[in-house]
Amino acid sequence: MVALVILFIIGPGIMLKYFDTKITEDITWQESEQQAINNNKEFMNEDNISVEDKKYFEEQIAISEYRLANNVPSQVDGSVESFMSLTGGMLTLVTLFTVITAASIVSSEFSTGTIKMLLTRPVSRAKILTSKLLTTFIFGLLLFVVNVVVSALVGLILFGGSTGVELEMVNGQIVEKAVWNDLAYHYLLSGGSFVMSILFAFLVGSVFRSSSLAIGLTMFLSFTGGMIVMFLSRFKIVKYIWLTHSDLTQYEKGNFIIDGMTMPFSLTILAIYAVIFLVISYMTFMKRDVTA
Amino acid sequence: MTTQPIVQLQNISKTIRGKQLIQQLNIDLYPGQITGFLGPNGAGKTTTIRMMTGLMHPTEGNVIIDGLSLKDNYEEAISKVGVIVENPEMYKFMTGYKNLLHFARMHKNVTKERIEEVVKQVGLEKRIHEKVSTYSLGMRQRLGLAQALLHRPKFLILDEPTNGLDPAGIREFRMYLRKIAAEDGVSVFVSSHLLSEIELMCDRVAVIQNGKLIDIRDINVETSSFYYIEATPNDQAAALLQKLDYNFVTENNGYVVEIKKEDIPKLIMQFVNEGIQLFAVQPHQKTLEDQFLEMTGGGQIAEANSK
Repeated sequence: MVALVILFIIGPGIMLKYFDTKITEDITWQESEQQAINNNKEFMNEDNISVEDKKYFEEQIAISEYRLANNVPSQVDGSVESFMSLTGGMLTLVTLFTVITAASIVSSEFSTGTIKMLLTRPVSRAKILTSKLLTTFIFGLLLFVVNVVVSALVGLILFGGSTGVELEMVNGQIVEKAVWNDLAYHYLLSGGSFVMSILFAFLVGSVFRSSSLAIGLTMFLSFTGGMIVMFLSRFKIVKYIWLTHSDLTQYEKGNFIIDGMTMPFSLTILAIYAVIFLVISYMTFMKRDVTA
Repeated sequence: MTTQPIVQLQNISKTIRGKQLIQQLNIDLYPGQITGFLGPNGAGKTTTIRMMTGLMHPTEGNVIIDGLSLKDNYEEAISKVGVIVENPEMYKFMTGYKNLLHFARMHKNVTKERIEEVVKQVGLEKRIHEKVSTYSLGMRQRLGLAQALLHRPKFLILDEPTNGLDPAGIREFRMYLRKIAAEDGVSVFVSSHLLSEIELMCDRVAVIQNGKLIDIRDINVETSSFYYIEATPNDQAAALLQKLDYNFVTENNGYVVEIKKEDIPKLIMQFVNEGIQLFAVQPHQKTLEDQFLEMTGGGQIAEANSK
C-alpha cells in the first residue's frame, strides 16, 4: 500500500512534467502579464458579462498590474507548491487504504480463525481492540507522512523550488497567497472525513466481522454522502448527521452543503458520532461469544 | 483425591436465544491428571471448552482457575491456561517462529530461549523459519501445541489435538502429555472423538450429553470382570450358564459372562462334565467405546470386540 501511494504520486508527477508540455513562448514574464491584462480588458468589454465575471477580471487585472508595478513575477506552472496542492487530492487514496486496513484488521482475525488464538492470551479484549485501533491510525498517519514527503520530494526533483509568488485579492487588498498555510489547513480539514471514515469502517468491520461489507459501506457513504445530505436537507435532522459535517474542507472553500454551519458545531457533532462508533465497537467486541 | 482442584467449573450454564446449551455443569480438574472430555456431536463440548477459555461468557456460573475467577480476574486466570481450540489457526503469512514470537509477546516472561526449547520439544526445529502456509496439517498441529506450551501453563485445554497428526506424531504427543502431567503437574483437559485415543491418553473421562454431565469416572478400573466363552453346542452352553445363575449376553459365537476369575476353573469343569466342547475362554474388557455408548445410550448397547 505504501508502494502504491508512492507510485500514485510519482506517476502524475512524471506525466505532468513530460507529457503535459506547454507551448513555451520566448517572451518575458512582463510581456505575458501585459498580454493577460489586455486579454482581460477585452473580456470585460464584451456584452452581457455577469457581475461575478466582471469582478473576477477586475481582480485579475489589478493583480497583473500590481505584479508589473512591484516587479513580482508570477508562479510558473509546476513548482513544489502547485504539485503538492495537486497531490493533496491523493489524500483520498490514503483514506481508502486506511479504511481497508480499519475494515479488515478485526474482521480478518475472525475469518481466519486467529481471533481465538488472540483472545486466549492474558490480555483483555479492550486492550486488544485498542491496539488494533491504534495500529490503524498509526498506519494511516504513516501513509499520510509518506504522501506529503514523497510529493514534496517528487515536486522538488521534477519541478524545482518556487519561481514566483502567488497573489490574491482579499478585501480589495492584494496580498501574497500563503500557499503552505493553505496546504496545511487543507490537510488538517481533510482529517475530519479521514478519522470518521476510519472509525466507521472499524465499527462495521468489528461488529459485522465482514471486511468487504465495511469497505463497501464506508466507500458508498463517502461517495453518496453529499447526495444523501442533499436528499435529507428538507428535514431539520440533517444537521445532526455526521455525513453533513465529515467533509470539513467545506470551510476552506466556503460553499456549504446546508446553511448555518459553524466549525464548533460541526466538530461537536463529529466528536459525538466518533464516541458513539467507538462505544458500539467496544461493546460488541467485548461481549461477543467467539465461535470462529 | 486430596489435592486441590486447579480448575473448577461451578454451575456453568449457557443459554443462547432461549436454548439451553449447557445446564449446571460442575467439573473439577486436578493437577497431574489427564481428563478426557467425551460427548456425542452437539452435546456442548466445544461450548464448554470455549467458556473455559474465556471465548464465550457463561450465562450463569463461574470458571475458577487456580483460585481465580475467569470473570473477575480474566488476565491473571487465563495466563495459567494453554489452549488449542479445534484447528490451531496461525498467521499463514508469517513464519512459525514469528507466530510464536507474536504470541510470546502477549505473555509475561517468555524468553527467546523458551521459544527455542518449545520448538525443539514439538520437533519443528527444521521448519520453524518457514511460512506457516507451507506447513502440513500435522505441522500446524505441532505449532499449535508449541504456542499452547510457551508460557508453561498449569492447565492445558486441548480440543481435538491429534487431528491430522501421523501415528508417530500421535504417540509422541501422548507421551509428551503424560510427561508434562507427571513431571510438571500440569492438568490436561482433552476433548476428542477418537475414543481409543482418549482411552490410551487419559486417567479420567467426563461424559457430557445434551449439555449435562452424565458421568465422570476413572478409566481402566473395572468394577466387575467379564469373560468371553465360546462353546458348542450353543443352546446347551446357554442352558448351563442359566442354571448356574451367571449373567451373560450372547456375542458373536459365544457368550460374555460376568464371572470372577477364581470361578473360571470350576465353570470349565462343569462344561467338560456336561460334554460341551470349549473353544475359548478369555478375559473380556469393555472398551471405552462400549462404556461411552452405554452411557450415552447411543443406539443398541453392543459389547463389541473382546480384548
